Amino acid sequence: MDAFFKAESVAVIGASPTAGKLSYIIMESMLSSGYGGDLYPVNPRHNEIQGSKCYPDMASIGKQVDLAIFALPASAIAESLKDAAPFINAAIIVSGGFSETGEDGRRAEQELLAIAEKEGVRIIGPNCIGIYDAISKIDTFFIPRDRVNRPAKGRIALLSQSGSFALTAMDVFAAEGIGVTRVVSYGNKMDINEADCLDYLTEDDETKAVVIYIEGINDGRSFVEAAKRCAAKKTVLALKVGREGAGKKAAGSHTGAVAGRYEIYRAAFKEAGIIELSGYEDILDACRVLNKLSPVDGKRVMILTDGGGMGVGIADSLSAAGFDLPALPRAKAEKLKGIFPDYFAVANPMDLTGSVTDQWFAEALDLTLEDDDYDIAIVASLWGPPNLTDDLPRLLGEVAGKHGKPVIICSPGGAYAREKNVLFEAAGMPVYLTPEGAVRAARIIAGMPLRR
Amino acid sequence: MNSIDELIKSRNGTLVEPEVKGFLKECSIDVPRSFIEIDLDTAVEKAGTIGYPLVLKVISRDILHKSDVGGVCVGLRDEQELRRAWNEIYVSIAHRCPSAKIEGFLIEEMAPRGVEVIVGALCDEQFGPTVMFGMGGVAIELLKDVSFRLAPIDQDEVVEMMKECKGFPLLTGYRGSPTNDIKAAAGVIVKLADIITGSKLLKEFEINPLVVYEDGCMALDARAISI
Repeated sequence: MDAFFKAESVAVIGASPTAGKLSYIIMESMLSSGYGGDLYPVNPRHNEIQGSKCYPDMASIGKQVDLAIFALPASAIAESLKDAAPFINAAIIVSGGFSETGEDGRRAEQELLAIAEKEGVRIIGPNCIGIYDAISKIDTFFIPRDRVNRPAKGRIALLSQSGSFALTAMDVFAAEGIGVTRVVSYGNKMDINEADCLDYLTEDDETKAVVIYIEGINDGRSFVEAAKRCAAKKTVLALKVGREGAGKKAAGSHTGAVAGRYEIYRAAFKEAGIIELSGYEDILDACRVLNKLSPVDGKRVMILTDGGGMGVGIADSLSAAGFDLPALPRAKAEKLKGIFPDYFAVANPMDLTGSVTDQWFAEALDLTLEDDDYDIAIVASLWGPPNLTDDLPRLLGEVAGKHGKPVIICSPGGAYAREKNVLFEAAGMPVYLTPEGAVRAARIIAGMPLRR
Repeated sequence: MNSIDELIKSRNGTLVEPEVKGFLKECSIDVPRSFIEIDLDTAVEKAGTIGYPLVLKVISRDILHKSDVGGVCVGLRDEQELRRAWNEIYVSIAHRCPSAKIEGFLIEEMAPRGVEVIVGALCDEQFGPTVMFGMGGVAIELLKDVSFRLAPIDQDEVVEMMKECKGFPLLTGYRGSPTNDIKAAAGVIVKLADIITGSKLLKEFEINPLVVYEDGCMALDARAISI
């Protein structure tokens, strides 16, 4: 698997000098990604492509290449793979036209698999966009960056059967400042599948969390076993799409009749310790928090706010989710009452009102996170109070860092708030624009299911 | 070979209710006291060994859902009601399922009331053996108050799975009703998980309803669907 993600040399088979062709964009992606390894365009009809020397075939490169990317018409792949196989360790077959098209395609795919197995070459695809690796900078996505951007290096890996989903998520992550480690779109997964990727990511120290976008899984048990191994070491989340449909209409029992595909997937996720996501919003909320914070073992939450109503809303949402909101210990309450004006509500939620200052927010957070009274803090810092300044995010970030506890920001608002919220993200705290989003984030890091 | 597979093979793939219940009994899962009879007068004679009220069910490999074709009568209080029900079932099957071959009748004790749940197991194409728990009653397919787990599974996890159902409090003494034997019901699910995991021929296996009492539980109906 290192031949994919840590390839020291990459060949693009069927490279083309024609702007707009898939192989051209793949070369462009590889050239502009900051990839530090050797890149070899291969095409017998050209001597040079995009400024690189072009080779007529793999043999003429004169050395073993880690990864070859095939962007050729489906009919030409088998022959080309056979020729290249002795010189490569791994291959990504981008081309479509295989098992997704029917019986002929399935046979063609079996032929590829036989070649790969015989030659000992591992394959991602066909019918995929391959990988984007923010660490090794391998980028086989055939959509130009000015159309679909790529995120920076982060902590989250994404596995996606769908190429378009992977691309869209990358673009949104990039815009939202959410980083990734390794992103894989495996398409028809004739060789490398979810389980292989999960096993690899389990041992990958850069990856702290894995998000899986699933349309269908072929070998359920090996997926569950691999996911279980991975979930024992890091957060694993999955979104299964295509939920309706093939419920077993012809079932002979009630058990069969109510056992839609999705119920079985849910059971499998539970067995594996996967957190089930119910939609695209969940993915964004989850990745936003996992991008900044690590999981915690505990569900005691402190709410700090400068707007009483928002505090109550968060408290409701937390209780419904099964969190505990322990009262502020007496000694801490006495101490804060000595500092704050008497109209502050020193409790949980703690309402510091519109009179709050940066310093008071930071002191309240510091004292509540001290000792072992709370596992998570949600700070609903609305930007209305006139005494709040741009220093607030930095101060809160320092307090959070000092205690090593997760602090989630809930800060709904318009143009001014959104502009300032960026400062929280820069200070290492994820920002949510709704109480529900902030509580979903808390559930993710507390390892609590999003559905009950 | 495992004994459910032997049974399925020996019956060419289709089991009738008394066969499935016989198997449950072997697995130490309680079923109502019963006997099988093809002759009405003999049935009337033997009825005393169980005692009224009784349940009468038709036995036929050609009928999958007995009650849908009028093949079940419950709460028969005396000989007269038993005789009438026997004839009614014959007439109903003749009308609604004329090609069905009647092998005989299952005569059972009328089980006491309790909380009805459904427990099942199925072999999924992708994920293999799976178990299900749900709150029973006619609305199961409407409300879908059910939960699933992969098999095999232990008793504690089964209880977790049962708790996921919204109707679970009905078992734990909702509004003054007695607390029921959750352990016994969970034990049945663990057994179903082992049965489906050990079988190569079972596709679906279900007890519906399983009636849960303060002490113990009983399988009132059960079916096994082979691959």
